Amino acid sequence: MKKEEFLLGLEDVLQREEAVKENDILDDYDEWDSLSKMAVMAYYDKNFGVKITLNQMKDIHLVKDLINLAGDNIQ
Amino acid sequence: MISFSKEDVIIVTGASSGLGEGTALLLNQLGATVVGIARNKERLNKMKEKCKNPENMHIEIKDLTENIETLPDYVKELKNKYGKFRGLAYCAGIVEVKPLQILDLSAMKKIFDINYFAPIFMAKGFADKRNNTGKGASAVFISSIAGLQSDKGMITYSGSKAGLAASIKSIAREQAAKGIRFNCVSPSDVITSMTSGILGLKETKANLYPMGFGEVSDVSNMIVYLLSDKAKWITTQNYVIDCGYM
Repeated sequence: MKKEEFLLGLEDVLQREEAVKENDILDDYDEWDSLSKMAVMAYYDKNFGVKITLNQMKDIHLVKDLINLAGDNIQ
Repeated sequence: MISFSKEDVIIVTGASSGLGEGTALLLNQLGATVVGIARNKERLNKMKEKCKNPENMHIEIKDLTENIETLPDYVKELKNKYGKFRGLAYCAGIVEVKPLQILDLSAMKKIFDINYFAPIFMAKGFADKRNNTGKGASAVFISSIAGLQSDKGMITYSGSKAGLAASIKSIAREQAAKGIRFNCVSPSDVITSMTSGILGLKETKANLYPMGFGEVSDVSNMIVYLLSDKAKWITTQNYVIDCGYM
């Protein structure tokens, strides 16, 4: 998946009205709550076959952290 | 007194007949802008002819079961056309009386499509905060007392309506922090074009209703109340409207 496509996908999962940018801090988003985290976990499982654990999720604070977690799945 | 302004845009599904029609007309009368959805253009137009404020009554022809997964996109399209939604009244539904001996899976799935899956995916579209007006927005779904107390021949219908009420409760809990309310109403026998198709309903059940069968307005008044700010502290509930039948 291209990075741009992922950022749009994340915007949709988080139901954000403004665009999600690569350098954004997730912790600053109102949308970044526990349900959204679960939604992101499901998104990774569905699109990348990557199962994020709750422990891993605790260390996700930036959009970049999420991109790193996807590894080669995001170019 | 409940009133809405024309900035209160409310989706009503199943708007061409029965509870949907009654709800659409009442909301329109009370000042809301209504987007009435149904399959049948002719009947939708007839409903529109009856409304008090035609300039605030919009109709949309759509079969909600056609591509259920894309219903959230459909809600988004409607939002782009009419503005963010203050309410959703999901009144589309079908009933079928079929005992166990003659149950078939494809017919069961059809009933679940319109009574269960479509409302859930409409809820998904409505709950997306890009599509609703935020705190104070409210959605109401028609369940049924059949979902609480099942009768002979109602295997599929009861299952679909019980499932809907249970799932709406979960959605309501998820959305509560955003101030968006989700409730169900569970009517018993209200005489509409849908229920009049149930063979022998009037004959067999008449003595169970000391005040007679329900009328559409008995239910639509409750739906409209739950959509309004008067019900601002009410969410996750499933209200039985049955004249004491249960």
